[in-house]
Amino acid sequence: MNIQDIYQKNRKNIFFSENKDIETHREKLINIFENDRFDKKNNESLKNINLKNFIDFKYKYLIPEETSVINNNHENSYSIVSVNGQCSTFKDDKIEITKILDEDYNDFSKNNTIEKNDHFVNLNSLFLNSGFKIVIKRNNNIKIKISNIVTDDDLTIFQKNNIICQEGSSLSLIEEYENKNNSTSNILNVIKLEKHSQLNHFLIQDNSSNHNLIITSHSSCKKDSTYTQKVYNFSEGYVRNFHYSELIETNSEADLQGIFFLKDNNTSNNKTFVKHLAQDCKSNQVYKGILNDRAKATYFSNTHVDQVAQKTEGYQLSKGILLSDSASYFSKPELKIYADDVKCSHGSTIGPIDENAIFYLRSRGMSKIAATKILISSFINEELSSIDNEQMSEIIQKKLVRYLSKVK
Amino acid sequence: MFLEIKDLSVKIENKNILNGLNLNINKGEVHAIMGPNGCGKSTLANVLAGKEDYEILNGKINFKDNDLFDLNIEERAQEGMFLAFQYPVEIPGVNITPFLHSAINSKRKRMNEEEIDNLSFAKLLKSKASDLGINIDMLKRSVNTGFSGGEKKRYEILQMSILNPDLAILDETDSGLDIDALKIVTDGVNKLKTKDNSFLIITHYQKLLDYIKPDYVHVMVNGSIVKSGGSEIAAEIEKDGFQKFQ
Repeated sequence: MNIQDIYQKNRKNIFFSENKDIETHREKLINIFENDRFDKKNNESLKNINLKNFIDFKYKYLIPEETSVINNNHENSYSIVSVNGQCSTFKDDKIEITKILDEDYNDFSKNNTIEKNDHFVNLNSLFLNSGFKIVIKRNNNIKIKISNIVTDDDLTIFQKNNIICQEGSSLSLIEEYENKNNSTSNILNVIKLEKHSQLNHFLIQDNSSNHNLIITSHSSCKKDSTYTQKVYNFSEGYVRNFHYSELIETNSEADLQGIFFLKDNNTSNNKTFVKHLAQDCKSNQVYKGILNDRAKATYFSNTHVDQVAQKTEGYQLSKGILLSDSASYFSKPELKIYADDVKCSHGSTIGPIDENAIFYLRSRGMSKIAATKILISSFINEELSSIDNEQMSEIIQKKLVRYLSKVK
Repeated sequence: MFLEIKDLSVKIENKNILNGLNLNINKGEVHAIMGPNGCGKSTLANVLAGKEDYEILNGKINFKDNDLFDLNIEERAQEGMFLAFQYPVEIPGVNITPFLHSAINSKRKRMNEEEIDNLSFAKLLKSKASDLGINIDMLKRSVNTGFSGGEKKRYEILQMSILNPDLAILDETDSGLDIDALKIVTDGVNKLKTKDNSFLIITHYQKLLDYIKPDYVHVMVNGSIVKSGGSEIAAEIEKDGFQKFQ
């Protein structure tokens, strides 16, 4: 079945299919797929994957039977259970959670930073069936944990979330993806940080081998705001992390970090892209990968500095350890600088574990396997020790121990 | 015999480095090997410690009644062999204290001895570090990371004193040390000397041997020992160089 047929067959289950503007936009997207009119060469969204598996799919969506739960705990802390991409509405004096609206869709479709050539984003727009909007109200300091649950096999979740941090607010957001069923989640997060706001965003990804997770995010930062994103990918299934950030007003910062732990035949595609559109802004993009067996990964990073973005600081770093001769990691850092007073750097190192370090540790009585594990841990020590959230730190340590237990 | 090297020939990447080398070390002895650059001194140290880059062409090594080639790198260390590296490896992110604690316990485990607990180990480490003039703050850092040349060598000796080996191999431990650091390092070695352990000291210069008195000095040229004797050989080398042995 082609995309047009899949769409028409399931139209009534898809969000905003009665909205004419949105329908017009979707017709254009269908046209791209139907006429195969996209650039396949150098298309970062297609690396290491068979697009056919994602285009020629069986659409299935179930509206969750139980209302998802929000617990308002002590210390401005909230737990949200998102079931099949949906959660219940909620409102108090600090936060507001609602369903996404037509205007949220339009707001996104006009965004120019996310590539129009990204098929997964196009599929998300086309088959949108879930999502929510969270607003953190002015000057509040909030912690939210979202557990993303997919209830059944063969579900195709196309979810769009909007997160808005109003002026002066601060949000610590932990998102967990731990699904064991044979399904696909295609999620787009659109994040807006108003003046003087801050968002620390942690994403823990630990799905089983039959679950595909495609996450794209777009954050925009206004004056004196900071967006920090830390992705920890322990999934055994395919994961795509594409994260875009725009620094649109002065003194704003974006810090996009990720670590992936791959094994067996698993694949992960990663991308970070920071656009500096105002002066005195800072960005940091650091991804590290540990790949065992026949695992494959890509990481594209890009710092774009607009000509008005003087005094920019933009750094990129990519590092990978290959634990097997059959593992592969492709990394491509890029800088596009149109301003003349900037500090920018990029670097990439990928290779096997340092044999001299292994020898040194073994010569002190440590077994080869213990030495290997201690060197893997040390490779990501800086990132792990910088986690200032105790709960997150414990979760990550446990998952790391589990990954290391499989390293032979 | 504590360590017996018999007719050892070794190559790396098609280049023969050791050629029929013989060396015997008894318990309680200090041996020094001197030789020009590239004669195979460090190769001998690495082969003894078990580095896997080398191909053993011929020969046998016995260590404490074990065929050394039957033991892997860590088993040799656990049996009491210690190599103080010429170029200690920097390992960012691996903290010194837990690393050394784990190292000492792996040795104790092999020897069927009780493992040392955190508190006792911390006390031991503090006292040994103090003996070597090592600042306690240094023990909070990652292994060899950001250390000066002298600090690295001192830290090698600290590891040696904690692990208390039966045979310590010092591979050019004097290189890159100023005279004060050399004195601290050699004092540390001398404090460890007993009738039950042995030392194999690899060096270019006699200077080190002014501080650590060897029982035997061997001259190594082109991968074999060409002359053995007492301290007088070191003085001879200091005066005339290695030319006459080549």
